[in-house]
Amino acid sequence: MIVRAGRPSVHALALAGVAVLLLAAAAALPLDIPPLALLACPFRAATGLPCPGCGATRAFHFAVRGRFGDALAFSPLATAIAAVLGLHAVWTALRLAGLPFAPRLEDTPRARWLAAIAIVANWIFVSTQGRV
Amino acid sequence: MLARCPSCRNTFSTDRPGRQDCPVCGKPLVVPEPPVASPAAGIDDLALEPSGTPWERRAELGFFTAWMQTLQQALLEPAKLFASARRDKGAAQLGFAVLNTSVFWALGQILERPLLIGQRDQLRRVLEGMSGNPDVAPMVERLLKAQLLASSPSWVVALALLTPVFTFVLLYVNAAVTHGIAAILGQAKRGFPATFAACAYACAPLVLLAVPACGSIVGLIWLVALTGIGMKVTHRISAAGAAASVLAPYFVLCCLMFAAIGTLTLALRRAVGQP
Repeated sequence: MIVRAGRPSVHALALAGVAVLLLAAAAALPLDIPPLALLACPFRAATGLPCPGCGATRAFHFAVRGRFGDALAFSPLATAIAAVLGLHAVWTALRLAGLPFAPRLEDTPRARWLAAIAIVANWIFVSTQGRV
Repeated sequence: MLARCPSCRNTFSTDRPGRQDCPVCGKPLVVPEPPVASPAAGIDDLALEPSGTPWERRAELGFFTAWMQTLQQALLEPAKLFASARRDKGAAQLGFAVLNTSVFWALGQILERPLLIGQRDQLRRVLEGMSGNPDVAPMVERLLKAQLLASSPSWVVALALLTPVFTFVLLYVNAAVTHGIAAILGQAKRGFPATFAACAYACAPLVLLAVPACGSIVGLIWLVALTGIGMKVTHRISAAGAAASVLAPYFVLCCLMFAAIGTLTLALRRAVGQP
């Protein structure tokens, strides 16, 4: 829901900064040399199954390069999070420039269930598609 | 004012409280007195916020005293500290966490360089011995390069200077993940600023990052425990709700933190010929 709002809070500004840093790191760091090359999931190594976060690094890597098909194939949830981070950074910049509106997330039981289902569905997708 | 008849359940408008008859069904009822509006009502519940932690009152206490008292309360009386944290002091809480963590993290990196030089050389010799194995040679080469690079003086200084940035990112990622899980579990009763206060002051034990070798492990375990206490107090939720909110994201973060160790273990197992 979009509501009228004043200037962004300290946390909104800081989260926008974190979003920019994470997306910049995903754009700048290559996957095949350290530190990203050293990342491997111990849960997957132990069980043979990906963990809920598996594929997120590669999804971010492809999402910031505009290869959304590849990003979605690795982790739809991480791709959505990358898009939300970008959107938050842009929206916060617009609010600093004077936009008097802000998105407001409603904390309802329905929203909670949707979030939980999204995490589980993403995990099932990552486990069954086998791209990670 | 609006009133509801307990007999016919109809809502009607009346201009006075007290005993009267329902205009719809005619039965007698009592309209309660309207609540007295408090001066703070309608402004914000920030007016009911506590006085603030010592760090949030550092202007009156002095920088060093405020930091020491905050550290002391976080380590020895965490419930008292979290109960006094204000949700509108996010910038101060961010400052405490970034300052505390980055100073001692940088100090730890600098101290570890001379103190653990023997251990690093031993690891390098093991890795160099493995580099003859064609299955692991590329991985070992990369590890050797990364280790040599990371232990060079210029990189130690660069990493020490970058620690505030890493701390800032990790703090917000930790707070966002913790808050997301708490929200899914219905435990985020008082918004993101309450979760952030818990996560920021929970960084107090990271002073142990200055202790080489074991300090980081002890500090991180203490941080998890303090985050749980913080979530319980700042959101006013049950201990079980706080534990669930805090431990679930650490499962994911543990995966990330031990990712490099997992890779190294696999490489070592392959090198010694185990499947």
